[in-house]
Amino acid sequence: MTAVTTPAAVRRPHLTRWVLRLHRPELVAWAGLVLLGAALLLWLGGPLTDAAADGWRQYNACDWSDKCSYDQDAILRYKDAYNYLTLPLAALPLLVGAWAGAALTGRELESGTAQLAWAQGVTPARWLATRLALPAVAVTAGTSLLVFLHHRAWSAARGRIGTAKSWWDPWTFHTNGPSTVALALAALAVGALAGLTLRRALPALAVSLVATAGVWGLAQWLMPHLWPAVTRVTGLKHGYDGLYSGITVDQGLVTRTGEHIPEPVCSAHTTEECLRMFEKRNAVGFFHTYHPYAHYGPLQLTTSALALALAGLFTVAAFLVLRRLTGALRPGKGATA
Amino acid sequence: MSDTALEATGLGKRFGRRGGWALRDAAFRLPAGRVCALVGPNGAGKSTLLALAAGLLPPTEGRLTVLGGTPAGARARVGFVAQDKPLYPQLTVAETLRMGADLNPERWDAATAEQVVAGGDLDPRSRIRSLSGGQRTRVALALALGKRPELLLLDEPMADLDPLARHELMGTLMAEAAQYGTTIVMSSHVVAELEDSCDHLLLAGSGRIRLAGEIDDLLAAHLRVSGAAESTDLSAHTVVESRVTGRQLTALIRPAGPLPGDLRTSVPSLEELVLAHLRNPGAPALSAAPAVTQGSAA
Repeated sequence: MTAVTTPAAVRRPHLTRWVLRLHRPELVAWAGLVLLGAALLLWLGGPLTDAAADGWRQYNACDWSDKCSYDQDAILRYKDAYNYLTLPLAALPLLVGAWAGAALTGRELESGTAQLAWAQGVTPARWLATRLALPAVAVTAGTSLLVFLHHRAWSAARGRIGTAKSWWDPWTFHTNGPSTVALALAALAVGALAGLTLRRALPALAVSLVATAGVWGLAQWLMPHLWPAVTRVTGLKHGYDGLYSGITVDQGLVTRTGEHIPEPVCSAHTTEECLRMFEKRNAVGFFHTYHPYAHYGPLQLTTSALALALAGLFTVAAFLVLRRLTGALRPGKGATA
Repeated sequence: MSDTALEATGLGKRFGRRGGWALRDAAFRLPAGRVCALVGPNGAGKSTLLALAAGLLPPTEGRLTVLGGTPAGARARVGFVAQDKPLYPQLTVAETLRMGADLNPERWDAATAEQVVAGGDLDPRSRIRSLSGGQRTRVALALALGKRPELLLLDEPMADLDPLARHELMGTLMAEAAQYGTTIVMSSHVVAELEDSCDHLLLAGSGRIRLAGEIDDLLAAHLRVSGAAESTDLSAHTVVESRVTGRQLTALIRPAGPLPGDLRTSVPSLEELVLAHLRNPGAPALSAAPAVTQGSAA
């Protein structure tokens, strides 16, 4: 019995089919993970949220003059489920990066199977392009579905559950929008780059994890500065405006000359004493520079754009490393002899 | 099609900026259609030279022309089997060959590939990871031969094979070379392994190409001489190696003219020639191939 095909009328190498075949176990695992996550997020956004909202309604209806009973278990169950789903979803780029570094490029170069592919009718450039494009499609599709369902679940709880996470909670912020998808793509590219650079699976896995965490941290650190924030100025008696309603960029005192200065540490026991101390420093009010909920969309998009730009940079770097590794990526024009 | 399979000028490869040179100043020309033995001790630069020719490594300096073009441009027409015979462990034998067919759609010769595998009594359904070293070699060779390459580069192809398989596969390779005019370069650190099958020699030692040319020409260019130690003057000739035992001098030389009549001379064996050059790295290199490139494809 032989299963060898004869050359058909095809001209271009069927690389796609083989990348899918070689990584079939991972693809199946990814599909399973996405389906499981989707099912859990639907459960979170549906029955769990409804039960917890009922519990909160009962709680809010209590007048506390008498014994009051409310479904505390439902509230706690929602909270646990939300946290246990949000954190892994936020950490998904780490998984993608580790896999890309270890399995997508690192192991291939370590075992020499990358060279095996290049010794067939496949140029290194096409090899890398296919190896990046196919996982990028799978990662984009799977992660997009998950963040969409997460956002849906989060919205269902908004205003109904007292302990629901605010939109600006770092994990919630990213898992609610496309920035997690973009970060996963950046992780894919940085993992591929690490694998090509180190050419060994295990070190590439470790470096990919660290680099992905770095990219995540960088995106989170730069995020508030990627869209102009609003500044609210209020009188000293009024206190800060908009505190704990969004992402704070800066806060402090406004002086008589309009200068913004940091709020000095006040260890007095009463607010009055502190206000007198502020007045001594020429303060006339407070300022609060922050992003209100209306900025969620622009912040998500600019953060995603930043992550995608990083993904692009890592991809270019990966092709440059590959060129250094193998020489010309494409067959050059007939060289002179 | 170029009449030159491989041509190197000043070819060198260094790994890392501060690493040592794996290969340096290599200059040789391998005409198309030859079966070439690439011989040298471990670490001589054989694998590096083959990887450079396969377009899997860029040279650090110098130039290497493969089938009249760049190594990268020739990749589709070159078959390469690396020393550790990398294959995808999760694929079956049949899938591996089907991959060869899919990745080389214009050149794939299924019959040849199947024949090489069938010779080893391999179940096409067995996974690569379950195969022995020799069986893997067989599949790797099938993948390289199925591509119907114009130039076949084999890095220690016979190392894992039992004598029977070695004989059979060598026969397959020779038949391939005879039928399609395939140029074959195979490396080994054992000269005797390749002596009967090859007509061309590249001898690598310490990262240099020490001898290059038709084996017959190389042998004809050397003489083993012996005579009385005190009366023999070989200074007019290139002495590769000389040894004095008592009053007797024996030497391997490249004669540059008529020899004194009282010397006994004999033609060295290939093994003697190779060993003498490896023992004496100071001996000048010799390239016995025609140095002129004749009308290679532009």
